[in-house]
Amino acid sequence: MKRREFLKGAALLANAAAFGQVAPNPVRQSCPVTLLPMPDYSRDMEKEIASVMAADGLVIKGKRVLIKPNFVEAHGGRPINTHPAVIAGTAHACLRLGAAEVFVGEASGHRRDPWFSVLNPSLRSILDKRVRCLDLNHGDAISLENRGRMTGLPVFYVARPVAEADILISLPKMKTHHYAGVTLSLKNLFGTLPGIYYGWPKNLLHFKGIERSILDLARSIKIHYVLVDGAIGMEGDGPIMGKARPVGVLVLSAFPLAADATASRLMGFDPRKILYLVQAGRFLPGLRAEDISLRGENPRKFATRFECLDDFKPMQGGPFF
Amino acid sequence: MSNPQPVKEERAGLAPFISRLTALFLPDGGCPYYKGGGSSAEPTLLAALAIFSSVAPVGRAKPLLDWAVGLQSDDGSIGADPAHSDQGKWATSQAAFVFHHFGLGRNLKRALDFILSSKSLTLPDDPRTGQNDGLSGWSWVQGTFGWVEPTAWALLALHLAGLGGHPRAVEGRRFLLDRQIPSGGWNYGNPALNDKDLLPFWDTTGLALLALKSHPEERRVIQSLDLLEKNQERIESLCGLAWTVLGLQNYGRDTHRLKTRLFDVMSSLREDELNAAHFSAGLTALSGEKVFAA
Repeated sequence: MKRREFLKGAALLANAAAFGQVAPNPVRQSCPVTLLPMPDYSRDMEKEIASVMAADGLVIKGKRVLIKPNFVEAHGGRPINTHPAVIAGTAHACLRLGAAEVFVGEASGHRRDPWFSVLNPSLRSILDKRVRCLDLNHGDAISLENRGRMTGLPVFYVARPVAEADILISLPKMKTHHYAGVTLSLKNLFGTLPGIYYGWPKNLLHFKGIERSILDLARSIKIHYVLVDGAIGMEGDGPIMGKARPVGVLVLSAFPLAADATASRLMGFDPRKILYLVQAGRFLPGLRAEDISLRGENPRKFATRFECLDDFKPMQGGPFF
Repeated sequence: MSNPQPVKEERAGLAPFISRLTALFLPDGGCPYYKGGGSSAEPTLLAALAIFSSVAPVGRAKPLLDWAVGLQSDDGSIGADPAHSDQGKWATSQAAFVFHHFGLGRNLKRALDFILSSKSLTLPDDPRTGQNDGLSGWSWVQGTFGWVEPTAWALLALHLAGLGGHPRAVEGRRFLLDRQIPSGGWNYGNPALNDKDLLPFWDTTGLALLALKSHPEERRVIQSLDLLEKNQERIESLCGLAWTVLGLQNYGRDTHRLKTRLFDVMSSLREDELNAAHFSAGLTALSGEKVFAA
């Protein structure tokens, strides 16, 4: 499907019965979101991340934790993937908080070769030996009921380590997306589905509708915590062909939609104009700015306006802070 | 320079790798991708191929073949694993390829029928990609778009079975050539975006080269062969090295240094890094057996 056709379809769907009502009553709950400064990747953030996670009430002690970064493919110089320093900082924070087991797992979307994702020496060499890296593309899956059913898919075949984890922590990269507007923690759920069932790329989800797939996954798989890598984001023609945009921030929250909505605002996008975020607001709290309790650094220090493709400029807005 | 067949002693040096691979085999007869996992079609089939091409007795592949045959559905397809036999049917092409080598004629015929009945969807062309979306190859998931890897495996299976001239094979080769990146190589299946070449992957480039060998189209892949040769020092992964060796040696290119590096990588893999499918491809590459040539 061409992007314009997709966007046209998505716009129609926004007002159609296919999506139900357009979030007339978004879920309301106070959602803490913390902004940590990370001007570059040289700082070890383990202590700060652990401190915020604990303050957010994330109970990790004795638990099996799966950290899900975003690895799509490797292009030298392009900030496509979650940076290894952020992954390591989060993994070590989990160990600090007493996790029984910590895994870093990814079902990379384009490349089968796990050397370009979680088995890359640049990541493994900085991880504590107790942290195991799992190639989720190649391995067993569990059939989970699709609780959204917007795609028409009855089940999702979810990588077993994801399904069996007590705690799922999503570590997306702060990026624009040439089909969905922005890609953050909810979109990052695509990488919980093994390529041996969905292919490279996960074309079935594209055919079923990227936004519908995001929403179905968000209904079916619980994300317990989010840490958005916004030290250096990607603007323009993301999620692969865009360019680096330093923002210098990590966005942390136990509320995935609140993290995504806040990251969107920092990028200069109005989450109330991003279809899948609006629809996620029907079942997740954190879409509305008034429901978000910001902590940490002043957001004005980081707020910016990402360049984006023309089709997505109507989704931009602000200033939000 | 032609790549000589390894002498027996060299192939005998692969015995520790065979042992390492067979240690992964499970009581049900299959092989998992990684230690601790359940049996899956791809590692099982590629392990059988590795045994076929190595010094190991071919009889050691029998439990693998029995497992794979047991996975074949009524429509001839082979799915990802017994728990999800309706998923991952792209593995049918790998199964047909392996069934051919082991002389499993009936199973081969059923698998080929399934492959020939499968077509990836076509779409109107997207000016951003510049590719011909009206060509049909093979998809990862039935009823979706075509991609390089499943198309290459389908072509390899058809060619080996003497069906390289079938109209589906001819269209499949057109599909693969269309997806070749203008500056050389293949990735998952989009060669360019907005007039910019996308980056090639070493593994899919090696596989696509194998699929186009011995056909009139092979003269149009020189830049992809050259790309692999020029970049061989940059290739570090087991998967990338294995498929690069397989691709280059089938065209008679020198792979001596690559094979040395592949051997070293395979020797130093940690247990949790050992993907049995990639390891098996590495073994097949090191064996020098031309199992991909009809």
